[in-house]
Amino acid sequence: MINTMKLSIAPYLLLVSLFVPCVSAHADGRIKGTGGVSSVSGAGGGGLIAWATLTSLASEQQRGFTAFTTYTDLDDFTLEVAGAAVNFNDRVELSYARQRFTIKANDAQIAQDKYGLKVRVAGDLLYGKLPQIAAGIERNRLLDPATARAVGAVDDNGTDLYVSAARAWIDGPFHRTSMLNVNLRYSKANQYGLLGYGGDDRDTRVQVEVAAAMFLTRSIAIGAEYRQKPDNLSALREDEATDVFVAWFPNKHFSVTGAYVMLGEIAGAAQQNGFYLSIQGAL
Amino acid sequence: MSVISEFSFSKSFYALTLAALLSACSGTQDTENLYTALGGEAGVEEIADNFIMEIAYDDRVIAYFEDANVDRFRQFFIEHLCMLTDGPCVYTGDTLIDTHVGMNVTVAAFNAIVEDLMAAMNKAGIAIGTQNRLLARMAELREQIIQM
Repeated sequence: MINTMKLSIAPYLLLVSLFVPCVSAHADGRIKGTGGVSSVSGAGGGGLIAWATLTSLASEQQRGFTAFTTYTDLDDFTLEVAGAAVNFNDRVELSYARQRFTIKANDAQIAQDKYGLKVRVAGDLLYGKLPQIAAGIERNRLLDPATARAVGAVDDNGTDLYVSAARAWIDGPFHRTSMLNVNLRYSKANQYGLLGYGGDDRDTRVQVEVAAAMFLTRSIAIGAEYRQKPDNLSALREDEATDVFVAWFPNKHFSVTGAYVMLGEIAGAAQQNGFYLSIQGAL
Repeated sequence: MSVISEFSFSKSFYALTLAALLSACSGTQDTENLYTALGGEAGVEEIADNFIMEIAYDDRVIAYFEDANVDRFRQFFIEHLCMLTDGPCVYTGDTLIDTHVGMNVTVAAFNAIVEDLMAAMNKAGIAIGTQNRLLARMAELREQIIQM
């Protein structure tokens, strides 16, 4: 059950992230911070949800690359994620993430792959009349489907679709640059897909996700996220996910995000709260 | 199929309401004249001088200024900044469209200039809130500078 190889890319990604600031960069055409960070699905965003922003600071005629690793320590579980994403011309984002979920009680693990495609359809986060509007697709595949089958999930793989809109106000509340992001997601995922897709107690297929953030300085942003989740399994209860975060952008090539996440009941364990730490390197 | 379950809806509604309230605050009017907040004539001149130095050392944008007359740029930038911030000035330069036409200013170059201006304001000791009041007004001019 324990798959030591499954997150073996993490140390390499970490290394890449650390050396990224030393490499001369060409994809820095947007303002620091406007590329956000890397979400747990690998797509550019906040932490628990993808945002309409595309990863890295690449603008038109630029190609950007990000790599990240994230560790979340909940009461009864841990979630480790590592991944990378590319941004072509601030128009198309491709992302990949490997998730490894560990049940502390018995050290059992569930790994999952997430492949993402996101396209900026219209608008711009900072400028003009339209908010930045993006559409995305996430293809998810469990590497350890046994648990999902045991709890009554229908599939061990699934596809999420989402549309996302984000707007930043340069002179926002308290004269701080602030952002609001709203997503509509079509998903059958149980606990991000870690417990499979679909179930015997089919719930809503369309979920709302919201994020708000504010830059206190040019380098430090605070914010909160909310993610509605379906509750498809009769045997297990699933709740919404929320988080509050602080992100630090010391330069255009590196960020550190800390969060407190409140994920509700997971696999029968009530009130799963904990700390989330993520680092991202960008080229 | 209920699109949004009732329980979840209440929470999302609160989140959206909170967000709406937050953005409503952004409409708060500050009484202090922006030109005064930037330090008046001396402040705007310091920002302009810092800005010119930032541009001079910025490989990303310096090519756009190869044929620029620095004294003329300084004068019109100060006038424009003064006018834009409700200062007691009349801008006597050409329109922004005329001054930027044919330059093919890219998105990346525009944002680089914004960063140079932020650095110039930091060096002049301008508070971030005041910086943002100015940057928001300047952002409105983007379409006149980047001719898509």
